[in-house]
Amino acid sequence: MITRLRHVLEGAAIPVAAVLLGLVVSSAFVVIAGKQPLPTYAFMFCEGFGARGCENFGHLLFVPVEEEDGSVHTHFAPTLGTRGHKLAIVLERATPLILTALSATVAFRAGMFSIGQDGQLVLGAVAAVFLGYWLPDQIYLLTGTGPDSAPPLQLALMRLTIPPVAMAAAMLVGAFYSWIAGILKVRLNVNELISTIILNAIAVQFVTFMVNFPLRADFNNIARTRTIDDTAWLTPFTRALLNEVDWFRGSRLGIGLLLVLVAAAIIWFFLHRTTAGYEQRMTEGSRLFARYGGIPSARATLRAMLISGALSGLAGALMILGVERRIVDGFALGGTGFDGVLVAILARESVVGILLVASFFAGLEQGAINLQFENLPRQLGGMIIAFMILFASMEDFFRDNITRLRVRLFPESVAPSQSASEA
Amino acid sequence: MTPDLAIDMREVRKYFPSSDVLAADDVDFQVRQGEIHALVGENGAGKTTLMNILYGLVRADHGDVRVNGETVHIHHPNDAIRAGIGMVHQHFKLIPSFTIAENVMLGIEPGQLGFINASEEAQAVADLGENFGLPVDPNAVVADISVGMQQRVEILKTLQRDARILVLDEPTAVLTPQEVRELYNVIRQLAADGRTIILITHKLVEVKAVADRVSVMRNGRMIATHDVADVSIRDMANLMVGREVVLRVDKEKASPRDPVLEVNNLLVASAGGIPAVFGVSLELRAGEILGIAGVSGNGQTELVEALCGLRAVEGGSVVLGGEDVTLSTVRARRQRGMAHIPEDRMHMGLNLRTSLDENLIVTVYQRSPWSERGIFRFRAIRDFALRIVRSFNVRSARLGEEIHTLSGGNLQKLVLGRELDGHPGLIVANQPTRGLDIGSIEFVHKTLVEARDAGAAILLVSVELDEIFSLSDRVAIMFEGRIMAVHDIEDLDEESIGLLMAGHQEPGP
Ligand SMILES: Nc1ncnc2c1ncn2[C@@H]1O[C@H](COP(=O)(O)OP(=O)(O)OP(=O)(O)O)[C@@H](O)[C@H]1O
Ligand SMILES: [Mg+2]
Repeated sequence: MITRLRHVLEGAAIPVAAVLLGLVVSSAFVVIAGKQPLPTYAFMFCEGFGARGCENFGHLLFVPVEEEDGSVHTHFAPTLGTRGHKLAIVLERATPLILTALSATVAFRAGMFSIGQDGQLVLGAVAAVFLGYWLPDQIYLLTGTGPDSAPPLQLALMRLTIPPVAMAAAMLVGAFYSWIAGILKVRLNVNELISTIILNAIAVQFVTFMVNFPLRADFNNIARTRTIDDTAWLTPFTRALLNEVDWFRGSRLGIGLLLVLVAAAIIWFFLHRTTAGYEQRMTEGSRLFARYGGIPSARATLRAMLISGALSGLAGALMILGVERRIVDGFALGGTGFDGVLVAILARESVVGILLVASFFAGLEQGAINLQFENLPRQLGGMIIAFMILFASMEDFFRDNITRLRVRLFPESVAPSQSASEA
Repeated sequence: MTPDLAIDMREVRKYFPSSDVLAADDVDFQVRQGEIHALVGENGAGKTTLMNILYGLVRADHGDVRVNGETVHIHHPNDAIRAGIGMVHQHFKLIPSFTIAENVMLGIEPGQLGFINASEEAQAVADLGENFGLPVDPNAVVADISVGMQQRVEILKTLQRDARILVLDEPTAVLTPQEVRELYNVIRQLAADGRTIILITHKLVEVKAVADRVSVMRNGRMIATHDVADVSIRDMANLMVGREVVLRVDKEKASPRDPVLEVNNLLVASAGGIPAVFGVSLELRAGEILGIAGVSGNGQTELVEALCGLRAVEGGSVVLGGEDVTLSTVRARRQRGMAHIPEDRMHMGLNLRTSLDENLIVTVYQRSPWSERGIFRFRAIRDFALRIVRSFNVRSARLGEEIHTLSGGNLQKLVLGRELDGHPGLIVANQPTRGLDIGSIEFVHKTLVEARDAGAAILLVSVELDEIFSLSDRVAIMFEGRIMAVHDIEDLDEESIGLLMAGHQEPGP
């Protein structure tokens, strides 16, 4: 029991240590950029996670003066309403990140080091955006109505069906794209790292082409597609039941987050509670063992790649249907897929860990972007994150030292219980 | 201080928090210079741990280590090598994709100008092998050579580093009697040169034959150290186990029934594409044990892998329970009642990266009651795992926990427990007792004989003649991929079998 608890604590200690060390090492670069590390980090964190940025960070109560009439209100900071809470934006950004991290985890846990999430995501996004305006167009055409003239019942039905159809299509596209890397591995033993890198490059080119030519909507300077129809939106909270809740103001956080949480639960269940998840994890652990035990490894690998691709495709769909509404040139280079890989590594492939790390990661990015206001390069944020990942990958080193430290500090804690060796 | 002690370990203590095992409980261990000192004890007694501490692979919680009278602090194998200590590990640490010569020379200063001269290196390794009576082909790739040969490479590695104190962790577990005799000649010669040898082994006969003194460990404690001349094998066994041990299995004469396995003219290629099994034909009946005797590396591994569906067959057929399974998957064969105890338990038989339970269910997980419609039933799995751990007495095994810290013997028991569960009709056992202590060997042999009496057909591959003789009902002798002869066990003696294993044809009828 105690051992269990200790495992959990030690498991958590490693990412925390990695984060701290990442900050310490990055200080050198902050200094080079001409700033003090501590205030800079404080700024970065409060901008990332404060209710309203650094205005009120660290205060439990927040007493802003209303600009118009000079009246004073007292707010409980963590639930601060007016003008929205930063955390809502952080969660909005974490939504696709969690999915791509889950996608990476499913692939990793089949022994496939697939980093094809970006390619699958952007292709999924294209599918979603296309269906997001094309399908409604067709329906309006068939019924002879338009967005403004359609009867409410028809609109309600469309709202219920179009987003799921678009998401399903994006998942199919992502799954298929990921499957290519899987089949190449299983049949021809092509290294998945290489094939997914190439597939990513192809997808980026393809999407850039689609946005610039076939799907281009207008002659805007920066190429972009049409926006999706209103009925294809994944309703953000600010539009639905919760539109009165100020907490969500300014963010496009919505149903997508709930879907993602459900997806995370399903993936956890899949990996740890089903025979299919077992098959792929054993394949990861030792291919020889899996073969010896009669586990159909090739099938497990392909299945993992399909699921992984579907998750990334869904991430693309959620970004479009929930947040972006259209694809603007440059979307394909967003890097949400690769960030997901980093999150998966930092979270050490644990599903609960991913939820935490993805939010942390999103907040950090948020704070890092705001570093610009302090006249620091925004790249600094990326660098800090990179250092944290570097340290997180030195897992064994930390574990040994933690154990050593414990033995030194509390020699009694290692007093043996003789019964165990006698069992 | 007594200057003539090569190794003097005092009050060495090591507790493993992760498995909650006290593997060394204030152990004192002294080895004299120039002696051959055997270290014996049950699986999990702490022998490997003690030697890992000496070699710098494991850090003791406290304790003193002196080498040749001087206190040393060994934190890393490099410290140990500098102190003149070499170790051959129980589980080899060779790089499979390198040649023998590259493995032996790995990490050693290369020749002039810092260049590695492959042919010189190969020559040097070949010479080294000749000098110590351990000839090797320096250009062979380790992945392609037998376990016995890998052992040899490991020994050469330490000799190349000019170790004065040699620790051999179960070096003979994989060798044939002939090879064992050669190895002991080598060891005696090394000792005569003034080297000190620490020999971990489970074979008390060998202790008797080669060692000067013997130390016995049990449950992390040093129980006794004796001159070998003063103790009998039975004494040592009893000291180790703490009870009376039966050294030989009793078994009734077999009453074979229907054929279970028929192998016709099997042709199998080895990893490099070179034929390894040439036209082997065998018949195995329910209720009998067929031993395959032979020097390791004569095609046994390939034969077993082909039978178990792990290696493609080039020609011939395998019939299991009346059905041709030559092209069947592993799962199909297992569903027809095949069980397989593999030679390589660390990589094939177990997945060291997952928990005990998940290792035990690998052959049954997709079936009820362990899972229903693709979803696991953890209660059933727990009960199952608990049953195996209990009935095979796997020490310090914990359900749901990682297994990579279990001792070699305990790992083997897990494999056995899993494979023998559920009354398989055919048991292919490849070196089933390698690395086990006598208590456990007694147990495994008894279990195999029970399985036979319950109607299982058992194919026993062993390089251990003792094991072949005490278990088999019939023996097939394999040499260079061919079956030289098949005889009832009564018609064979050590000498005739030895000749056949060395490739001598029987005189024609
Ligand atoms: N790294 C480790 N972490 C936790 N427990 C360990 C570790 N290494 C060994 N143990 C435990 O310590 C005990 C002694 O193990 P050790 O490998 O020394 O046994 P052994 O005498 O060499 O047995 P065998 O004959 O089976 O090789 C075992 O119970 C084992 O599970
Ligand atoms: Mg050992």
